[in-house]
Amino acid sequence: MTTTVTLAASMRGGTKDYGHGDAAVRALDGIDVDIATAEFTAIMGPSGSGKSTLLHTLAGLDRLTAGQSWIGETEISALSEDKITQVRRDKIGFVFQAFNLIPSLSAKENITLPLDISGRDIDPAWFDEIIGILGLGDRLTHLPAELSGGQQQRVAVARALVARPELIFADEPSGNLDSRSGAELLGFMRRAVKEFGQTIAMVTHDPTAASYSDRVLFLADGRIVDEMREPTADAVLDRMKQMGH
Amino acid sequence: MFRLAAKSVRHNPKRLILTAFAVALGVGLIAATHIFTDSLDRGFTRLFGEIYDGVDVIVEPITDGGEVGDPTSGDSVAKNLDDDAVRIAQDAAGVDLAMGATEALGALIGTDGETLSGGSGFGPPTLFFNWTGVEDFDSATLLDGRAPEADDELVVDVDTAEQHGLAVGDQVVVGGAEGTYPSTVVGIATWGDSNNTQGATLVWTSLDRVRELGGGDGWTVIHVRVDDGADAEAVAAAIDTALPEGARALTGAAKAEEQAESLGEALKAVDIFTLAFAFVALFVGAYIIANTFRIIVTQRTREFGLMRAVGVKGQQVRTMVLGEALLIGIVASVTGILMGYALAGGIIWLLKALGPGESFAAPIIPLDAIIWGFAVGILVTLASALLPAIHASRISPMEAMREAAVQNRRGLTMRNIVGGALALTGAGLTTVGLYAGLDRPYVYVGAGAVLLVLGVTLLAAQLLVPLAFGMRDLLTRIWRVDGKLAANNIHREPRRSANTAAALMIGVMLLALTATVTQTVKAVANDAIGGQFTADLMVVSTTVPGSPDQSVVDELASVAGVETVTRSASLDARVDGVKIPVTVLDTATAEEAIAYETEPSFSEIDGGVFVSPSAIEAGAEVGDTVTLVGEEGEISLEVTGTYPNSGDGDYFVDFAQAEQLGSPIDVWQYSIVAESGADLDQVRADLEDLVATEYPLLTVQSPDDMLELANQLIDLMLAVITALLSGALVIAVLGVANTLLLSVTERTREIGLLRAVGSRRRSVRRMIRIESVVMSLFGAILGIVLGVALGVALIRALEEFGFDTVAIPWGMLAIYTVLAIVAGIVAAWWPARRAAKMDVLEAIAFDG
Ligand SMILES: Nc1ncnc2c1ncn2[C@@H]1O[C@H](COP(=O)(O)OP(=O)(O)OP(=O)(O)O)[C@@H](O)[C@H]1O
Ligand SMILES: [Mg+2]
Repeated sequence: MTTTVTLAASMRGGTKDYGHGDAAVRALDGIDVDIATAEFTAIMGPSGSGKSTLLHTLAGLDRLTAGQSWIGETEISALSEDKITQVRRDKIGFVFQAFNLIPSLSAKENITLPLDISGRDIDPAWFDEIIGILGLGDRLTHLPAELSGGQQQRVAVARALVARPELIFADEPSGNLDSRSGAELLGFMRRAVKEFGQTIAMVTHDPTAASYSDRVLFLADGRIVDEMREPTADAVLDRMKQMGH
Repeated sequence: MFRLAAKSVRHNPKRLILTAFAVALGVGLIAATHIFTDSLDRGFTRLFGEIYDGVDVIVEPITDGGEVGDPTSGDSVAKNLDDDAVRIAQDAAGVDLAMGATEALGALIGTDGETLSGGSGFGPPTLFFNWTGVEDFDSATLLDGRAPEADDELVVDVDTAEQHGLAVGDQVVVGGAEGTYPSTVVGIATWGDSNNTQGATLVWTSLDRVRELGGGDGWTVIHVRVDDGADAEAVAAAIDTALPEGARALTGAAKAEEQAESLGEALKAVDIFTLAFAFVALFVGAYIIANTFRIIVTQRTREFGLMRAVGVKGQQVRTMVLGEALLIGIVASVTGILMGYALAGGIIWLLKALGPGESFAAPIIPLDAIIWGFAVGILVTLASALLPAIHASRISPMEAMREAAVQNRRGLTMRNIVGGALALTGAGLTTVGLYAGLDRPYVYVGAGAVLLVLGVTLLAAQLLVPLAFGMRDLLTRIWRVDGKLAANNIHREPRRSANTAAALMIGVMLLALTATVTQTVKAVANDAIGGQFTADLMVVSTTVPGSPDQSVVDELASVAGVETVTRSASLDARVDGVKIPVTVLDTATAEEAIAYETEPSFSEIDGGVFVSPSAIEAGAEVGDTVTLVGEEGEISLEVTGTYPNSGDGDYFVDFAQAEQLGSPIDVWQYSIVAESGADLDQVRADLEDLVATEYPLLTVQSPDDMLELANQLIDLMLAVITALLSGALVIAVLGVANTLLLSVTERTREIGLLRAVGSRRRSVRRMIRIESVVMSLFGAILGIVLGVALGVALIRALEEFGFDTVAIPWGMLAIYTVLAIVAGIVAAWWPARRAAKMDVLEAIAFDG
């Protein structure tokens, strides 16, 4: 790699095929992408364009058919399943659209789950800070079923943040929330990037959500077709319309 | 709806495979039992037909007052027929030939003194018959050599000859209770067509020799051949009317049928015994089926809700679930019956390969195996699915709208109330049985036990909640998140976990109960045997008891190092017209040889009689006079003492008195006391040499040998019961596996999430394994506690039968606990694998 900025993650020639023969689908078609540290990157594109697939292969949840990908300096496309799990555990946080939490664990236990799994100690000051920012202080002992959808997603963000991962991947984190809760959540994520230098890559359909990011990547048919810095909701919406969305 | 049910089964067969397997296993055990006994039944019917094939009519003695042919009932063994009976049979119209036959037990010994057959007391007997020369009557056909003509000539059956390499002209020794007789093999014969002797050794020799060996005077049976064209039944009837009381005549065919029938009765008892275990297995299976359906219904809450939303009626949902159950029941029953066939066939094949399986007919699947298999398999499945099906039909269409499957938070209150009531009633009944002093306390204890078990099964859910919670910290400390999540999962569905554990609990409970009872039986038997013998060695008869021959005593006493020889014998006499067992002893030496705590000591019997507790209860007192009536005499004896042991004869007398009764005295043991300082091993070796050459039907044993033998028998019993219960245990383990598997499917998304945030496969596997082991251990411990408690209660209830101590089988309990852990690990194997292999992405995308 010839880049001088530090990269949280990158991919070169990333190709992903699903199925075989006639039924084969090329979800990613030779993608080159860099995710810079301390940046909030949004990934947009029409349905079926390969956004989730890009996120999953970058995060090591899925393997590329061809090409390479890195988390920091580690080439995960060359690692064994167990090693990738370890990278995920130590360096990556996740926020999914739904079903983010283990139902039998309390909010607090869910938040500390990645630390518990890797056996690391909790930094109480950091924990309190996150909880304070996300406004979860009085909800810590509740089970997920006793939390609202917005609270559940905030717990998921707190879980992603608490281990101070190098990179957080989020797949439509606000997709299931009303606009107010969604805005709140995205605000927190942006704060995490700005105030704590957290790196976040987020897939979204929503131009407003994308406007919280520093940079938007546009995907179509498994390729990156465009990129936008310092996006606004309107600019993103225009671009999406051009793409026939 | 049935089509829908079939589709649903086909769409997701995995979750039902283990369920079906559990039912199939139970059905298999039932079918195997039927197939096995059917094969044995047909085999024996064929065999008896063969035995009585050539005999048209049989004349045999009847035991007085008892059932024909059953020496244990009635009050005396059948007397032999005399020559008059032969004459009556011969003179009856239509009779061509009537001949008496007699038989005796003995031993066949090689010229080197090595016993070939008989004499060991174990295994099939060696039977001696008199050779009549009439092929049909002897049921024997000479293959080689000639018939025996002198007392020292004999014919052996072909398999025995082959086994020991005997040929015509070989020298052997015949051993009887009274002595040994050098003889020559003059012929080899086959018995019936196939020499199907069940392993017994058959020897034909002269009439005198058989009588000498213990056949006694007269005939044990008279064989009759009718004239050509005569009707055997009419001839039998004619002979029967002519016979005096105490004998009867019947056709060979009727006799064969009678034998087969009485054997069938005996087999039925075996049948019931094994069926009981098959039902235990099915009961445990029913638990699992109910549990499985409950889980499936919960998992499909949304699906059912959706169906209801689009207009499917609740009753149709119920029909559908029951339809699935019916389908599973049918498939499982068919599988089970085939498994049973394979199992029974396998056992029969094994028995044939090992030797004693000759009497089995080729196994077929009899109609009753099919009927029972289907009835039980389908009924159990349907009954188990009924509650879950009703539950499914009550699911509201609203459930389809809910975000995630809402957890079933129905309280445990009702369950606890019912469980508590059952457990209390059960405990109450058990207590009543134990302490109220009612008749037959074991009935109350038994019924109480069943209720208690059902109650505890229901209460187990309540017990499991705090237990899982209490263990959460511990498990978390040991295994961190994996332990915590495992505890959570058990805790989350207390009902489901409890039902799963309960299946194992029932199996382990029965094991612990059996172990406790057998351990106690062992302890009691060891006490009894250990306390009874103070003799150094015992010489006991292995086949038939001997007569009180002084020369045996003298010869045994002449062995260097032997101080005293004390005979123990028994006879039957009548007191006030009632037959009672009498123990006969050499009272002069009995004191040192036998540890009876008599009052006063045996040496002071003074020609009188000692009485047992039961005789005392009947009114006998020291100083009274008792009149014993024998076959040829009676004696009036003063009661000079008492002894505390029950289980022996009611009266103790010396040989001097016993011989005056003229009844046969059966000597079954010679107790040897060695001189102090004598080398016991040498004494034993010398005694063994003497016995081997002179008295092949006697064997030398030490009190330790006796103990070992008793313990072996008890251990064997425990092993058989354990083997039979293992069916239930396998099903219980399947149940644990099934529950875990379903719960893994249910938690697909959760497991995916864990993997996404960095749990390794190993970690996921471990989580499932901990869950499984905790559930299994919980079930096992509950089972052990219940089993031991019930075992102790049962023993207390049986106190009147001499169970005065309780022995807890700690060793076995430890083994069961370890096995429960192993079972947990085994049960978790597949579910853990599936959970670990789950694709993270698929899991996250999993559509509940
Ligand atoms: N497991 C799979 N098997 C086969 N094809 C798949 C699989 N997962 C995704 N695809 C295909 O790959 C392509 C990209 O899918 P992907 O989920 O990445 O799209 P997306 O951009 O996230 O869409 P959406 O906005 O609808 O979530 C699609 O054509 C999809 O059908
Ligand atoms: Mg997507």
